[in-house]
Amino acid sequence: MNEKTRLLKALRKEPVDRAPFICPGGMMNMTVTDLMDAAESAWPDAHLDPEKMARLTLAANRLAGVENTGVPFCMTIEAEAMGSQVYLGTRGTEPRVTEYAIGSFAEIGRLRPIDPGAGRAKVCVEAIRILKREAPGTPVIANLSGPISLASSLIDPIVFYKGLIADKGNVHNLMKIVNENLIRFGDALAEAGADVICIADPSATGEILGKKVFADFALPYINALTNYFREKHGLPSIVHICGDVRPLGGLLGEIAAEAVSVDSMVSIKTLREFAPAKVSMGNVSTYLLEKGEPADVARHGERCVRAGVGILAPACGLGPKTSIANIKSLSRAGRESGVAARS
Amino acid sequence: MTRERGDILKDLMDGVFLMNEELVIKAANEIVANNYDAYDAINNGLIAGMNQAGVLFDKEEYFVPELLICSDAMYAGIEILRPHLKKSDKREQVKVVIGVVEGDTHDIGKNLVKIMMDAAGFEVHDLGRNVPLASFVEKAKEVNADLICLSTLMTTTMDGMATVIEMLKEEGIRDSYKVIIGGGPISQAFANKIGADGYADNAAGAIKVSRSLLAKAAA
Repeated sequence: MNEKTRLLKALRKEPVDRAPFICPGGMMNMTVTDLMDAAESAWPDAHLDPEKMARLTLAANRLAGVENTGVPFCMTIEAEAMGSQVYLGTRGTEPRVTEYAIGSFAEIGRLRPIDPGAGRAKVCVEAIRILKREAPGTPVIANLSGPISLASSLIDPIVFYKGLIADKGNVHNLMKIVNENLIRFGDALAEAGADVICIADPSATGEILGKKVFADFALPYINALTNYFREKHGLPSIVHICGDVRPLGGLLGEIAAEAVSVDSMVSIKTLREFAPAKVSMGNVSTYLLEKGEPADVARHGERCVRAGVGILAPACGLGPKTSIANIKSLSRAGRESGVAARS
Repeated sequence: MTRERGDILKDLMDGVFLMNEELVIKAANEIVANNYDAYDAINNGLIAGMNQAGVLFDKEEYFVPELLICSDAMYAGIEILRPHLKKSDKREQVKVVIGVVEGDTHDIGKNLVKIMMDAAGFEVHDLGRNVPLASFVEKAKEVNADLICLSTLMTTTMDGMATVIEMLKEEGIRDSYKVIIGGGPISQAFANKIGADGYADNAAGAIKVSRSLLAKAAA
């Protein structure tokens, strides 16, 4: 069973020999500085060049045992294409928005549509084409910024969060534009050959928004995206929910994506209780992955497998100083304990 | 018809925690028109309302959007009342330097702590986000701060907090300030490890921790 078959089967809840081990990319970062050295492809250049982008994510697959590739390495592609200013960061820090595209909801008309044939959006599309050619047996994950995270990268988050209570109509107007653009970008990534869509929305945690606002403003837009990609392109989706999911309660089960991934503070048992119909994904602490020893990492990975995790993964994005040895240790733990758990 | 002071204070308080800025503005103007005490109105009206919002936040009935709107209402009232404070109202205040450490731009959590510190009557010097580490030390010296509050949401930038504490030690002024840290990946264990004085996991907690540290220091 190759990596692509295993992940796609796991996402469809079909029998697999063991849980796949993945690091999706995007917010769920898979690249670390040791891999940048080994691949001779480092941030920030790898954000700008499809060949370097592909080489770096392939290094995570081939050298660290991550069973997928994925693009991009940040959450700023869409915001930049729509008019926000972005600082590309350094070797050890991710790109971030430095200036918002609009100052108030009244300026929504100034947002530009994403052009997947230009700029860094095009870099991602071309990188996927390279990955399909170079590693056809490895699943390529297309990472999209979550709709709330993208919206609050286009307008100051304080203005946005207040709008969720005080200016609901305009927030919905903005969210509709956000989703149209995520679909436009996602279409291009799917047509280039992406196998799975992953959506992480760190600005839409239950702790920040509360259950009601999440239900009104995050869930419908996230579900609209994953339903669209399933119907239009036949692609399964992973949705990652940051932070504590307990404030969301049963809403977790209403996520339409095939798989739900959670932060390290949530146990796989809790996740499976809240969303029993979903493929569970997670959730080895990225702090442990960066600071711990390979044996600690392996132990936590085994614990997730024993708890019945459907897809083994870090609980968040990897810190860039995480060692290759620790990632490999988690990968190995997934292979060994995963097979043992099912035999 | 002139209303009782207590009735107007109740409007200030309700206006803040029920997110009704218009009610707050109307009541604050009424305080001014009737020559009621502005200091009393801020403390027992606006700030009392913000504290109630903080309680609801603690109970997970309010979340970030609600708290931000409550704080807008509080600040709108303070704006009207501040010019009417008497000189004698300006007491010695707790001075705080706060910011998000270098490399990180996530400032929602920091902003919530700032709001609750404003509500607690602290004098808050907000350095914003992505703050160069040396700026915390410089600003704390400049304003003669009591507290330095460091925030980050990212595992990749949390080590910057330890660097700030090291900088204070190198200058021989570590004991002049209480250092409090917070943010997504931060824990009490991490605070102990880097030698921070306190840790809080939410905005209301930051006020409690600050008060208890300062009380201990004064004792």
